Amino acid sequence: MTGFKRLEPAGWQAIILHRPHPSVDALIRQLAMLHVEARTVWPQLDEADARADVVFFDADDGHDGQFPWSAGLAPMPMIALVGSEAPGRIEWALSQGSTAHLLKPIGSTGVYSALLIAAHSHRIVRAKSDDIRHLEDRLRQRPAVVRAVLKLMGQGERDEAAAMKTLRTIAMTWRMTIEEAAETICADEQHAKREA
Amino acid sequence: MSSNIPAYPVSVLFSAAGPYAGLGREAVAGALAGIAEINASPTLSLRLRPVIADPRGEDRRYAELAEGAIRDGSRHVVGALTSSARKEIVPVVERHDALLWYAFPYEGYESSQHALYFGACPNQHLLPLFDYLLPRQGVRPFVVGSNYIWGWEIARIARELVEARGGALSADRYLPLGHIDCDHLIAEIRQKKPDFILSNLVGESLHAFIRAYHSLGLEDDAFRPENCPVVSCNMTDFDLSAVGAAAAGHITVSTYLHELDTADNRAFKARMTERLGEGHAISSCFAAAYSAVLVLGTAMAEAGSDDPAAVREIVTARRFATPLGDLRVDPRNHHADLTPHLARAGADGCFHVLEQSSGPVAADPYLAGLAARAALTPHPADLPIEASQARKLRVVK
Repeated sequence: MTGFKRLEPAGWQAIILHRPHPSVDALIRQLAMLHVEARTVWPQLDEADARADVVFFDADDGHDGQFPWSAGLAPMPMIALVGSEAPGRIEWALSQGSTAHLLKPIGSTGVYSALLIAAHSHRIVRAKSDDIRHLEDRLRQRPAVVRAVLKLMGQGERDEAAAMKTLRTIAMTWRMTIEEAAETICADEQHAKREA
Repeated sequence: MSSNIPAYPVSVLFSAAGPYAGLGREAVAGALAGIAEINASPTLSLRLRPVIADPRGEDRRYAELAEGAIRDGSRHVVGALTSSARKEIVPVVERHDALLWYAFPYEGYESSQHALYFGACPNQHLLPLFDYLLPRQGVRPFVVGSNYIWGWEIARIARELVEARGGALSADRYLPLGHIDCDHLIAEIRQKKPDFILSNLVGESLHAFIRAYHSLGLEDDAFRPENCPVVSCNMTDFDLSAVGAAAAGHITVSTYLHELDTADNRAFKARMTERLGEGHAISSCFAAAYSAVLVLGTAMAEAGSDDPAAVREIVTARRFATPLGDLRVDPRNHHADLTPHLARAGADGCFHVLEQSSGPVAADPYLAGLAARAALTPHPADLPIEASQARKLRVVK
């Protein structure tokens, strides 16, 4: 099996950003079966809606400015309700960060899988964003690693590889990343220079 | 027959050939018995005209034959035993605004507005079965199933249920529909020594497996049904009649049992004896198809038309007395409230009640209700009682 843990939507709160419409009624019926409480909102969400567990939004009549967060930075899974498959509308729905969609007219199927797919994708996107932020931090610290390697070579390591190995050992001993260990070593140097 | 009584065609779509033909023939017989009763009723002023077609167990044929029947005037399809067949018919009835009457246990996760579900979903079969079984038998089942969505999803739910109680599946293994070579399964079961076997095998595969497992029990007491039973959500009286005494001691959960002692069932059996003759045990397949047709005919007569929307509204608005009980169909999810009966196969070829049922259970097809969520949430305080104390399953008939 895949090894990822399925999220179960029972008990969630959903916001539906859509004008009254039979498709919205069908969506609410499906959500009720899943024990997901739904509230319909139009024309825009407010700050309190940011606490919802999932947002379904109209991709046909939707526009920027309906959400209290910047485009693509929704704090919850976003599911587009798509009637017109015009590329402009799909692009706009994607720009809002939707990770799943339902085609209108909505009947009696589709909501459960859309919820699971959107929630899973949202979780993956969040995790990847965290990873990227972490890697960017490490990249930012790369010059410190170079400086620390040069310093260790100055202190007697025979070459770059040996200095890098020593830096890695120091990081493990101090239980920090190589970048953090390098910054600490360089900070000592800066400190020593200032002391001098 | 009076000429001003309307006659409506009804598509009857079961496989009387192929890997689960025996069950299909039971379902056709049940549906036709229901139609005959509706047509003979002095109080219902309509006639149903069965339009029988046989997909011979080939999934894609279900869609073609349903499409043809609807094109020829049927607005209701009573049909499909397996989930893979049902999934073929549902898009057809949705496209043509017709109604599917489905009457067999399935894995849930569906709720079409164009289908009515008279078969149990997991909170009406597997959950009550495991509620009873896990504390008594242990939490390491070996799962065998037919290789399609029924087998896969029931194994998945079983895994989550036993893991919530601190257990694990001993293994889950699959046979293609119709395959009867079980030797490798039997060898693995012997080696793994599970607490019990959950079978999601269908038709001939189930029969072959039960026979092979019976032989294993004759060689090794550890695999006799009183020690390591086969339990199932889809083993019917028909399967017992096919397998004979080799099935004795194994356990099923079913919404109908021949021996149920209710007024409705006594009257039903008496009528069926008149129709079929003495000595026919009524299978749950037969009773379920019969019950669905009974509700269909009664609601159609009340609607004065075969308009699916009008019929659906009546079906979901009141109760119907059937051999499955006094049925209510939930207007939100189109599933019937059903009573799960736990039963053990006797040497007489019949299932006998293991524990009195606590009554009808509303369907929760997405396992999203409180009871299902509680069953699927880890509850280590409720770990199984010692297997040694639990080995003996007691008949409380």
